Amino acid sequence: MTTNLDTNLLSAALDRVLPPVDDLAGAGAMGLAEVVVERSRADDRFWDALSTVMNALSVGEFLSEDGDGQDGAIRAVESSDPNAFTLWLDVVYSIYYMQPEVHKRLGWHGRAPQPEGNSMPPWDESILSNIRKREPFWRKV
Amino acid sequence: MTTDHNTDRIADVLIIGAGASGAAVAASLAEAVFDVVCIEQGHWQDASKFPTTEPDYELRRMSSWSINPNKRKLPEDYPVNVNDSAIEPVMFNGVGGSTILWAAHTPRLHPSDFKVKTLDGVADDWPISYEDLEPWYDLNDHVMGCAGIAGDPANPPRSPRQMPPVPLGNDGEMLAGAFDRLGWHWWPSDNYVNTTRYGEGRDACNFCGHNMMGCYQRAKSSTDLNYWPRAIDQGAELVTGARVREITTDSAGKATGVNYLDREGNDQHRQARAVVVAANGVGTPRMLLMSASEKHPNGLANSSGMVGKNLMFHVYAGVTGVFPDHEEPWVGPAANMIMSQEFYETDSDRGFLRGYSYQTGRGQGPGSVARGANVPWGADHHKQLERRLGNTVGLGAIGDDLPEEHNTVTLDDRLVDSSGLPAPKITYRVSKNSRALLDHSLVQGQKLLKEAGAEEVDVNRFSREAGWHLMGTARMGDDPERSVVDSNGQSHDIDNLFIVDGSVFVTGGAVNPTPTIQAIALRTADYIATHRQDLKA
Repeated sequence: MTTNLDTNLLSAALDRVLPPVDDLAGAGAMGLAEVVVERSRADDRFWDALSTVMNALSVGEFLSEDGDGQDGAIRAVESSDPNAFTLWLDVVYSIYYMQPEVHKRLGWHGRAPQPEGNSMPPWDESILSNIRKREPFWRKV
Repeated sequence: MTTDHNTDRIADVLIIGAGASGAAVAASLAEAVFDVVCIEQGHWQDASKFPTTEPDYELRRMSSWSINPNKRKLPEDYPVNVNDSAIEPVMFNGVGGSTILWAAHTPRLHPSDFKVKTLDGVADDWPISYEDLEPWYDLNDHVMGCAGIAGDPANPPRSPRQMPPVPLGNDGEMLAGAFDRLGWHWWPSDNYVNTTRYGEGRDACNFCGHNMMGCYQRAKSSTDLNYWPRAIDQGAELVTGARVREITTDSAGKATGVNYLDREGNDQHRQARAVVVAANGVGTPRMLLMSASEKHPNGLANSSGMVGKNLMFHVYAGVTGVFPDHEEPWVGPAANMIMSQEFYETDSDRGFLRGYSYQTGRGQGPGSVARGANVPWGADHHKQLERRLGNTVGLGAIGDDLPEEHNTVTLDDRLVDSSGLPAPKITYRVSKNSRALLDHSLVQGQKLLKEAGAEEVDVNRFSREAGWHLMGTARMGDDPERSVVDSNGQSHDIDNLFIVDGSVFVTGGAVNPTPTIQAIALRTADYIATHRQDLKA
């Protein structure tokens, strides 16, 4: 699929779906458009979804719209091809939520699950005190 | 690790597929001094390469580490046509099979699941009972290593578990309290996850929360870590990166081995005195149908016409509670910590037959939370994300999916795998009974979460990408006209052909099937070892 791949357009769209919050820039202003393109190139499905969304947005018109107008254009893409839009959005979210500055703002630990893992208090059998009183109720054959 | 390539020798038993059941059969028969060879289209996995050590793990789970072969698209995967299916099958192809990516939640079927026709007047009875299978359930628990605790009032008594249960954590304790207050059943789940050191070189879980992308810690049990090392130690040969094209037969109709494509794509033939198919509930009917010949025009072992019919998944729906003051619910293995079987058995007042289990889950990173329900893009995104991140607890319902002949696995007319072999096509629709029991589960699930203190509950009416459990497509039975294999997994048509995966299930119950699949596989292996010495050179 050929792509209407204008980085300004993609950045502007990213800023609408993940807008600035507190002192954090929107996803587009954070420079994530290039990351979205790079990661999408690695998977045909991602690339097709990105292409579908970009091809449905008109560069000149979209960039000249105000915020509400841009949201409307994005909603039109969402309605016309929900599967492609959802996949594109999922990729965008996954990339946004791996950024250290986003983790910092959320108070999220921000590290990969392994190798550190987490700690938990050990199993405590006393929690079974109530359910242990119940008579067996499995259906006899 | 690919051992011996003496392709001229005649093996006693050739196994197709190195997953949950193929591994169990290989170890059991190798220990019984059978000459065993296994052909597996995938490869060994290197735990250090699992994506949970990388910050982009949530993105990789959507692509190269997806549970869905149509998304993962590795050369060893085969595509599946799901255009006419309400559920997409998910699986993993490699040594260990889907136990590489599973949650390792390991309940057992109930005694009533084996007698559904007798008790509820629908589907069919199994030709075996829970009691028939129990010794092999216990044996499998020992090999795989089960964390849990005996005494569950919803199930028959069972032997002591190998390890204590997975800790419940804040979220589990909160839900347990709600179940108690409603007077509903709950019990710590059985899981094949180490809570202490167990098995060769396998430590306890470090509660990373994401073991469904492979367990870096090797605390989650998978058959590449236990059954396969045992099998290979006993002389079994495991050929990886090799794709079986067909099971071959002689003029008498007996299985003689397989034709397969080796790692380089070259045609090869391996001879065997018996063939065991362990390729899962989609791959096995595909294999039998691909093995059609002049003598078996409708596919191998298919005189009944039942191969590929009666496909069962389990149906899934779920509710997620938002608990604003909750802390760290992502801590703990993704495997289920609590199971409730309050609504497992048939109650005619509920408006459906059979029932469902509740499972609880963990392990949601911010990307996954963002992709979930009720987190919109745009101006309200950050508020809703923050409300949910670290503050949600999920309750999933796994529903009994009764067999129906119109739910099928067939060969697709056009779609092929990377070797040019026909891909499977799934035709499946959700029955009224399944929909009714899921609707019931959503109402009751919301009640439970509200009791637990949820301020808001997100509802997922149906999970499409949840076809983990592939069952029923070569079912067992006493009647050769209505079933594919007998109670020992032996084909009615071909006495040296056996099937040991979820294909042989007659009904599916409302629990994860792997312990049952493995118990059946071990039972079939024992049958071969004790009654089919004629298969040994």
